[in-house]
Amino acid sequence: MISRFLEALYTKVFINIVVGNSRTVVYIEACSKDKVLKITNKVFDTVSMNSKMYEFIKLNAKESPFYYISVLDRSSQQGAVPTCSNSEISKYCDTASIKYKCYSKSWAYYTSEYDLEATKHEYRSTGVDFIFSPFVLMANFFKDKINTTLAMFVLLEENYISFSVFDNSKLLYAEYLDMQHKDEEDALMIDSSLDDDEDEMLLGLDNTGGIDLEEIEIDDDNSIDFNDFGDIEDLDSGDTIDEFSEEHDIEEIINKEKDSDISSSGFNEDYQRFSLIQSSLNTFYRDSKYDSKFVETIYIADGVGISSDLKNYLEEEMFLSVYIRKIDIALALCDIAKAEVNAI
Amino acid sequence: MQYSYIKPRSKTIFTKDMQLLFTFFGVTIFMLFSTYSFLIFRDYRFKQDLADISVQKEQLSSSILKMNQQIATIEKQNLMSEKIFTKNSVLKDSINNLFDLIPSRVTLSEAKIMEDGLILYGITPNKDVYNFMLQAPLRSIFHRTYSSFYPVENGWLRFVSTNYIDEEELKDEN
Repeated sequence: MISRFLEALYTKVFINIVVGNSRTVVYIEACSKDKVLKITNKVFDTVSMNSKMYEFIKLNAKESPFYYISVLDRSSQQGAVPTCSNSEISKYCDTASIKYKCYSKSWAYYTSEYDLEATKHEYRSTGVDFIFSPFVLMANFFKDKINTTLAMFVLLEENYISFSVFDNSKLLYAEYLDMQHKDEEDALMIDSSLDDDEDEMLLGLDNTGGIDLEEIEIDDDNSIDFNDFGDIEDLDSGDTIDEFSEEHDIEEIINKEKDSDISSSGFNEDYQRFSLIQSSLNTFYRDSKYDSKFVETIYIADGVGISSDLKNYLEEEMFLSVYIRKIDIALALCDIAKAEVNAI
Repeated sequence: MQYSYIKPRSKTIFTKDMQLLFTFFGVTIFMLFSTYSFLIFRDYRFKQDLADISVQKEQLSSSILKMNQQIATIEKQNLMSEKIFTKNSVLKDSINNLFDLIPSRVTLSEAKIMEDGLILYGITPNKDVYNFMLQAPLRSIFHRTYSSFYPVENGWLRFVSTNYIDEEELKDEN
């Protein structure tokens, strides 16, 4: 009771850490009751805790003993399932080493306990108070739409995509997609292909006049089934062929890729996002575990600033109605942290 | 609504800075209270001592009063003893003088000394010896002297001499 009273007298400081591709955003709000007293936002060129970030966080944390550090869960093992029952969750994922929580008693989000401990360990110098699932962030952001429509809901972060399908607040399918992991898988596949059959590749290049992305990803288990979307295949292969038509040596090809990454990174990332969304939707339609329904609408929470390409892909290739809302992930994270503190 | 996978760490206002501050103020307040308590205790003891001293003072005053009374009594007794001693000395001298007055031929058997008189009982060989050797000095001392004789078996005379000093005549003489 006394601590509650004292807590009300003190300013609360919400420190929200959002890790991006190559940088980390630390967004800090100092609040007194419902009034925001101060907002501080700083970007650090690192993806892990360094001394500058530590000093910055500690400096702001000193303002009040009631400071809360929130981070988003980055576990690749996380996801969401359309049930809250422990026995039913095991149908969708291995429940041995996961931690899950129910959302509105209708669906659950889960993550790896090991990754939670790893996150705590990563922020051991400053400590961490809240680890939120991106699905919670997305569900709160699209609360008005989730309750009333059947649609796909996607939260786009720099390296991650939280993909979900809701039917009038009932979760049908959810998947957490790691773009970086996907890149690494692709790179490994290219490397292994080069090591195993370099000559064959060279011959292939000579014969076709370029690298066909479809061919590279064709053996990947998680790859997109391009048979359903033949137009995309043409679009993709056409661009890539133009881009690498003059290349004859593998090393040169790799160098060319690096150069072209800078100029066409936005395009590549959007295409990659499109591919991942398409792949996930296919899984949803095909996997018998999930209650498949035909989805025509997609709501995208854009936390990275995507170009219109992604919208065009989705509209033209998948015939979806696309609605994009900008989201400040750090701010959304802060709002959840505030709600969480008020609920304690 | 609790969406976080982990619970927040318990928050307390007692941060290290606050702990230091509270320790400092705590020690200061403790010292102030200790000093205050010590002063209160000393004040209490002082008042107690004052009360004790007052009681002692009263006791001493009363004992002084008693002692003064005793001194006065002793002084009175001393005066009285001095008077008695003087009287006794005077009486002793008077008796010595009386016995000096008695001639060797006269024998006294009893003497009664009174405030204003002297009664002598004795034996004299004859009246003349008594009249000339004893009555004459007695008359010079006392204002009134009465003598009576009666014979005894051996021919001597038993006498009773009654002598008085008159107070009025003594005043006149002074």
